[in-house]
Amino acid sequence: MSTPAMASGSAVAAHPAPSVRAEPAEAGAGTSTGPGRTGEPKAARQPWARRRYALEIRQHMAWHRQAFILAAAIGVGLLISAVILVAAGVPAGELADEFIVQTFLDGQNLRAVLFQAAPMILVGLAGAMAFRARFWNLGLEGQMIWGAIGATAVSFFEIGPPSLRLPLMFAAALAGGLLWVLGPALLKLRLGVNEIISTLMLNYMAANFLLHLVYGSWKDPKDNFPYSPQFRAFERLPDLVAGVNSAILLAGLVALAAWWAVGLSRAGLYLRFVDANARMAQAAGVPVARIVYGAVLCSGAMAGLAGFAVAAGQEGRLTQAFYQGYGFSGILIAFLARNNPLAACLVALLVAALFVTGRSLQVFYQVPFSMVQLIQAVIVVCVASSDFFIRHRLRRVGGT
Amino acid sequence: MNAEILLNWLANTPDFAVPYALAALGLIVCERAGVLALGAEGLMLVGALVGIGAQLAFGEPAVSLLLAMLAAAAVSLLFAAMVIGLRVNQVIAGLALVFFCQGLTALVGTLAQWTNQATPGIGTLALWPLSLLPVVGRLFQQNAMVWLTLPIFAAVAGFLLRTDAGLRLRAVGENPQAADAAGIPVAAWRFGAVLAGSALVGLAGAYISVVSTKLWIAGMTGGRGWIAVGLVIFARWSPWKALAGALLFGCIEALIPQLAAAGVQLPQYFVLMTPYAVTLGVMVWVALARRGGDGEPGALGAPYVREERR
Repeated sequence: MSTPAMASGSAVAAHPAPSVRAEPAEAGAGTSTGPGRTGEPKAARQPWARRRYALEIRQHMAWHRQAFILAAAIGVGLLISAVILVAAGVPAGELADEFIVQTFLDGQNLRAVLFQAAPMILVGLAGAMAFRARFWNLGLEGQMIWGAIGATAVSFFEIGPPSLRLPLMFAAALAGGLLWVLGPALLKLRLGVNEIISTLMLNYMAANFLLHLVYGSWKDPKDNFPYSPQFRAFERLPDLVAGVNSAILLAGLVALAAWWAVGLSRAGLYLRFVDANARMAQAAGVPVARIVYGAVLCSGAMAGLAGFAVAAGQEGRLTQAFYQGYGFSGILIAFLARNNPLAACLVALLVAALFVTGRSLQVFYQVPFSMVQLIQAVIVVCVASSDFFIRHRLRRVGGT
Repeated sequence: MNAEILLNWLANTPDFAVPYALAALGLIVCERAGVLALGAEGLMLVGALVGIGAQLAFGEPAVSLLLAMLAAAAVSLLFAAMVIGLRVNQVIAGLALVFFCQGLTALVGTLAQWTNQATPGIGTLALWPLSLLPVVGRLFQQNAMVWLTLPIFAAVAGFLLRTDAGLRLRAVGENPQAADAAGIPVAAWRFGAVLAGSALVGLAGAYISVVSTKLWIAGMTGGRGWIAVGLVIFARWSPWKALAGALLFGCIEALIPQLAAAGVQLPQYFVLMTPYAVTLGVMVWVALARRGGDGEPGALGAPYVREERR
């Protein structure tokens, strides 16, 4: 289909009915004439008010058009976000400066973005992995919490010699996240319990357990704040060159592994088969249950590693609210990246930049940090809605 | 002493049960029309925030509750446009709605400085003559919204199960193709159901802020919207069973402060976990006792696309 159809398609966005009657501006866009030119011979052949359009399913759309629609949707989302930011008190002229110049061109802020990006990439990969298996893992935050608790337990009880401490913490975090998602996975596959509810409930339970630890037996005896004692130097992820933390390296390696697993390995092929049609896959001899378990447990393990990256990288201890905002960010990253591990890295970097900018806006303009969540939600709404224009098109019916 | 605690517990139960009941009822209206409503948590926050805002501005509880319902319905227009108009995946749209509302309410609450501002709340209404009974009379002194919840339930359940319009709404959720062929405008009914259901969910949120806590804190619903989603599954989409389930959850939540008052030493954060653990347990129990998914609307979560006839 050609561009005019898309243009008229986007103008009909607000109409809910499956078959829409064209309105002046929409038909005008379709014939690239302005609404005022109704007296022209071309339009007179059939008055625009009488033209009818039917909505039909589009089988395929060229990738560059899809990219265009996606970009337009993100653009609309950013525009709405900018309006909200200005309404909340950020001067319009400062927006570009805050979001691009300050965030990416300032060395310290860029390091902060990379620092923030590591757990973001990990939760994004975790989301992508589970969604590929059609498992709505909304428990990323709970799995992160258990990952961080696992890592902190190794430090707190001084398990293993100093040289092995960091690998042990890594393994404990992985196991923590994995075990916390095992329950919902079993319940879903054995009993058909809705995983959306079960993973969310487990989030709240994990959050309360975290509070139990940091206000209770794991509280740092040195001062009165609700966090665990500081990790020792060898228990923290070291810096690489120029003050860039190795957490980002860890995230990158996990992303490469995930890319290999879903893109190149046999299990990845099976996973795509299961995603497309689980019954067909089962009939063709694919071990469906094993593949789904594998993907979901990987997802939990990656979320656990995100907890490790925050605890051993950013905070250097277990804190009471470190996980907040990551659950939704992970879902958003996976959704925007269409569950592609490498795309998830890129999106995660942008979300991390948004987080860093959000913190500086909080400091300089007293904009609440919830703004970050609002902007993310607006962009998801726009991108999810834009899918309609990729999957449908308008066709003129009747007349000529 | 023990009888006193028991009585306190029972007297407080309705106050905790009403938000669950109203939210579950709203979700049932929505889901019976075939729209999977995961946005309850967000819409409750919208109701709670607007309720407090209106309380601070006008100080008239009835107006506040009505405005909260309107606000939740208005926000749900976004969700309805996404899932019915643009056929967005209902899980994605529901999640996006929750996160949108969480961000928006936290932002507006902070910017408008409504956080932690105390409001008067609403008075109690004794149900005469039961309230004159010697010991149990206290159970019948509840706030007006508790009493109002019962007629709301009767009206909505009666509408859904006993009227032609309710039958149409259920038909749209059960088999939209057949409903469409019978001349029922599927999209319009779903729009209406989402708006009406969301208004009830907003009322549930406003009850928490305006009547129970009497103040606004960001994220104050604390997962009750999600519990309501679970409650609807537990109740197999039946309004009266949902009311019973809400009372069960109200009981559990009302027990927490009573135990503390009785001096029972329990780890605080484990006690706070109980509503979530109970929800999970209830979901497992439903799954174990399931007989062929009875009660679930046939087209729940599936967008209706006339062009994709099957």
